[in-house]
Amino acid sequence: MERILMVEDDAKDVELTLAALDEYNLANEVVVTRDGEKALDYLYCRGNFTGRPKGNPALLLLDLKLPKVDGFEVLRQIRSDDQLRMIPVVVLTSSHEERDMVASYKLGVNAYVVKPVDFHEFVNAIRQLGMFWAVINEPPPGSVKK
Amino acid sequence: MAASDLYLQKARPVILRYGLAVFSVCLALGGALLIERFHLRNMTLFLCAIATAAWYGGAGAALLALLLSCISFAYFFIEPRSALPYFILFVLFTALITGFSTVRRRIQGELLQSRVELEALNKELEAFAYSVSHDLRAPVRHMVAFTELLQRSSASLLDDKSRRYVLMILESAKRMGNLIDDLLAFSKISRAETQKTLVNLDQLVKEAVSEVQLETSGRDIVWRIDPLPVCYGDRSMLRLALVNLISNAVKFTGTRVQAVIEIGFTDQKQGQVVFFVRDNGVGFDMKYLNKLFGVFQRLHPREEFEGTGIGLATVQRIVHRHGGTVWAEGEVDKGASFYFSLSKSQGD
Repeated sequence: MERILMVEDDAKDVELTLAALDEYNLANEVVVTRDGEKALDYLYCRGNFTGRPKGNPALLLLDLKLPKVDGFEVLRQIRSDDQLRMIPVVVLTSSHEERDMVASYKLGVNAYVVKPVDFHEFVNAIRQLGMFWAVINEPPPGSVKK
Repeated sequence: MAASDLYLQKARPVILRYGLAVFSVCLALGGALLIERFHLRNMTLFLCAIATAAWYGGAGAALLALLLSCISFAYFFIEPRSALPYFILFVLFTALITGFSTVRRRIQGELLQSRVELEALNKELEAFAYSVSHDLRAPVRHMVAFTELLQRSSASLLDDKSRRYVLMILESAKRMGNLIDDLLAFSKISRAETQKTLVNLDQLVKEAVSEVQLETSGRDIVWRIDPLPVCYGDRSMLRLALVNLISNAVKFTGTRVQAVIEIGFTDQKQGQVVFFVRDNGVGFDMKYLNKLFGVFQRLHPREEFEGTGIGLATVQRIVHRHGGTVWAEGEVDKGASFYFSLSKSQGD
């Protein structure tokens, strides 16, 4: 049962993140959506995800620049929905821009991670994120259990 | 004062401008009548009223003020026979003030226009830098990552030559990433607002030195740091400038058995202070002085001294944003000195 929802439009980033998580056997816990709309579909169990088992992901890895509905909007909707607002959200982005960071924190993000250029650092960052949020952290009630 | 003056001179509705003319003339009349009680004849108040109307209300309001002033002055204060010289004086004065005001308004309009254009340009530049930071970094990241994955998965299959090629791809991609990051940081300096406060340079230099000391383990470096004054500027920017200068000094003394790095200042006239960072490193040829502060300009091959060539350009931009100047002196193999000026107080 997938406990991590990753929203990422770039296929290469998806592959790299999965490769990084795979080193710690977390890759099969990840469900990927390629835009914000599908992510919301997943969270609300609608569209392609109508039949999915109930429960919120224990972690949402969110890119900011997304087709259709961008990361900020996804975040806004999650935080204003009683069922979803407790999901831990980590923004994972290429952007160093301070305003993106400030806007994300204002919308109540749990962490903001800039994808490191160096692959080792990237793997490290992803591993630590996966370890912390999927293993160490006690997810809020209503999350999918392992 | 200047700001409130500018605010008051903004274009106003007609009724307000002519109202101002009427109001100031009434005020002048009242004042003049009051003074008249003490048997003094005073026309300066009317001139002031006209000037006010012309300055803040434009030509139309000035004309109205002139008319009202002439009428009330003639009615209340003088015999009709001796009126003419006064009238001529009034008219001349009005023409003078209106002339000044018109010229000033035109200049102000032009300034406002160019300011609007500049702001638009700056916005565009900001959007550009923003998209660079989002879109340009991603492919570079992917290049590095997949090359590393390739390196890992094919290490046993490739011969030495091919492994070297993979390494080259990796290094180049990493350098590209660094260049993009540095360029972005550089463009941020010109976009960021400066927040100027009094800055303790002593403290700042200490921080900068301890930051670069991470790279100096195992090296023999003699630091000679004078007590430094307090200056007026943006703390984080000045810190960045100092870190750049000091890390340069550390870098370019890398070939010395004992490196000597001096940091000090000299007091100048008009509240200016000139700081310097001097080293006994490889120095530079003064004929390349004009290239020293350029973006991505390097005077040494990359194999000798690493870096993207943006440090001094950053320093220059920071100092310029503080209204100071930056310059350098050097001699090949004898060392280099970098100077920059700052003001001690707010007034500049």
